Amino acid sequence: MASRSEIVLASLLLFLSCLAETSDANGVVLFSSLPNTLEMIVSPHKPEQVMKPAEGSWTFGGTLKAGEDKLSISWRLNQSFSAGTTDSGYKTIKVKLCYAPVSQVDRGWRKTVDNLAKDKTCQFKIETRPYKHGSSKWKYIDWTIKHDVPSASYFVRAYAYDGAGVAVAYGQSTGPKKNYNIFEVQGITGRHKTLDVVSICFSAFSVLSLVGFFVVEKTRAKPT
Amino acid sequence: MEYDSQSPKFALPVDSDHKATEFRIFSIDKPHMRAFHLAWFSYFSCFLTTFAAAPLLPIIRDNLNLTTTGIGKAGIASVSGAVFARIAMGTLSDLFGPRLASASLLLLTAPAVFLFSMASSPFSFLFLRFCVGISLANFVPTLFWMSSMFSPPVVGTANGFAGGWGNFGGGATQLIMPLVFGIIQHNVGAAKFTAWRIAFQIPAVFQMLSAIAILLFGQDMPDGNFHRLEKSGDKPKDKFSNVFWHGVKNYRGWILALTYGYCFGVELTVDNIIAEYFYDRFNLKLHTAGMIAATFGLANIVSRPTGGVLSDLMARRFGMRGRLWTLWVVQTLGGVFCVILGRVGSVKASIGVMILFSLCCQSACGLTFGVVPFVSRRSLGVISGMIGGGGSLGAVMTQLIFFKGSEYSKETGLTLMGVMIICCTLPLTLIYFPQWGGMLSAPSSINTGTEEEYYMSEWTSVEKEKGFHRASVKFAENSRSERGKSDSLTRTSDDIRPTGNSTCLSSLYYINC
Repeated sequence: MASRSEIVLASLLLFLSCLAETSDANGVVLFSSLPNTLEMIVSPHKPEQVMKPAEGSWTFGGTLKAGEDKLSISWRLNQSFSAGTTDSGYKTIKVKLCYAPVSQVDRGWRKTVDNLAKDKTCQFKIETRPYKHGSSKWKYIDWTIKHDVPSASYFVRAYAYDGAGVAVAYGQSTGPKKNYNIFEVQGITGRHKTLDVVSICFSAFSVLSLVGFFVVEKTRAKPT
Repeated sequence: MEYDSQSPKFALPVDSDHKATEFRIFSIDKPHMRAFHLAWFSYFSCFLTTFAAAPLLPIIRDNLNLTTTGIGKAGIASVSGAVFARIAMGTLSDLFGPRLASASLLLLTAPAVFLFSMASSPFSFLFLRFCVGISLANFVPTLFWMSSMFSPPVVGTANGFAGGWGNFGGGATQLIMPLVFGIIQHNVGAAKFTAWRIAFQIPAVFQMLSAIAILLFGQDMPDGNFHRLEKSGDKPKDKFSNVFWHGVKNYRGWILALTYGYCFGVELTVDNIIAEYFYDRFNLKLHTAGMIAATFGLANIVSRPTGGVLSDLMARRFGMRGRLWTLWVVQTLGGVFCVILGRVGSVKASIGVMILFSLCCQSACGLTFGVVPFVSRRSLGVISGMIGGGGSLGAVMTQLIFFKGSEYSKETGLTLMGVMIICCTLPLTLIYFPQWGGMLSAPSSINTGTEEEYYMSEWTSVEKEKGFHRASVKFAENSRSERGKSDSLTRTSDDIRPTGNSTCLSSLYYINC
């Protein structure tokens, strides 16, 4: 068994090499360079009901409603990786809601780009918290889907950041092709009965004032 | 000159038709300047409502689950409604007067804006944008109204200001709508997807109120409204088929319809694509790209009036030939700048060229409507409608050919559009007025080349016996200024005077001819 100092040195070297891989001279971080070291599970149930999903597509059985329904999101460092993987460089975890490919088609404002600074895949922040090292326990949050989440298909991704705020690793609730464990959210319509009534009244007033004007003009013209 | 105590007093100097010979922009005196302010504000409100969706698209596209293709289609739909509506509005203006035509259009299209509150799918979005876009046909009664209120020496100026200050709404809306949306979202606390729906009610109310103001405070002509004038016999009621026929028969209307598509049409297309162009090509923030896009529309406040004023200035010295030449030069220059815009590679140069392009393109719109009032007197509305419709058609065609889908990159599209502008402006050389000449030929030297002959040819002898043509006679006399300075001195005076009216092109306040 290696001595403590050797382990520290090894982790430091690995950490530095990870940094070197993930960002180029300009500080541009490419998604393709991030190691997928976190495993994630998302479901609408409580964490104790979490089951590791098999490869193959499944749905939650119905869409989730924005503003009402909750997502249970759990993550931890991938236990099945070799001993060389270390999470000592991870300082912060940011969990985000991301668009699935089917919702990105013909929508350039949701495009996936390798340069993380320009990537528009993950537009909704779920949670930011400090990273707890050396634990094999699942961390989880219960998140109520916010009102401004539009109707689309999604998955969840977590980015690990180092002390300098540079992304160093990630994990997501689906595979590399993003073709399973995709869930749908039904956004709010934004319509309100009151607003509907107000706009119908305005519209009616607009048309009726024109009709009224014609009637007045005709009756005024008659006596001549 | 006799003074008739029954002649109405006007605040501005007028000609024999009681049209104002001066344009005083800060006055609201009845009927001329009041008509101007009512007209430009109502046209401005139409631009506010038609392009209100553009700056709020980032929110609407998520709410209604739109795709890029769907947004493009809705953009084309928003300008295509006006193509035929403008021709219809021209006919309605000729028959019922610009006041009724304009107010009816605004009040009937306002519901489409209010009902955005209920939009729930890509189809409803496209349909509503189509319906709202019909309101852009208000251009025709607006300019018809200006041509009825202002005399030939200042008609270009009046048309330029009314058109320019209206078009300015296309830029103003890019700034106003996000502001209104922000206030509703933060101060009223509405959710994003509700706030934009509430925001749409605001420009709709503007449109509705401006229409009501036109009905309450405006009048069709300096002497009164069509309806009353027709009843008292001062204005003969014309037949639709005759008005329409004389309009479509005039080849000058068709040429100007084509060329207007390549200044106004191009302007609308650029309104729709320029924000995305700056955003994608130069990686600007959406907010910054939006502000640059707004600048293009905002330039209208000076550039289109400049075109109108320039047209009138050139007419003073060189007559109609001056108007035509200036129009050709400025519009072709706009095409050149459009070509350059597609080729420059830096943000600063792009913005500079875009500003030059907008100045030329929008001035060309003002210059066009310095020529239009003279093409026909009887069918002024139909001609204005055809040309206005041609403008909207140009917007549809250029968006379809150069900016739909990914066949051309936006910069290639701009360059090719610039080449098309240059080519499609050449037909201006074919316009010829027997009494004033054309770009490449002098006026006709034989006796048939007079203003009276030109405008009288629109009436049959039966109609002339009934006296229907009287307004055309007055207009013919007043338009003699289109000969330019040198010409009116050297040409032999005309002796053809069908009625006993004496010529009075006087600037005195009390006029009776």
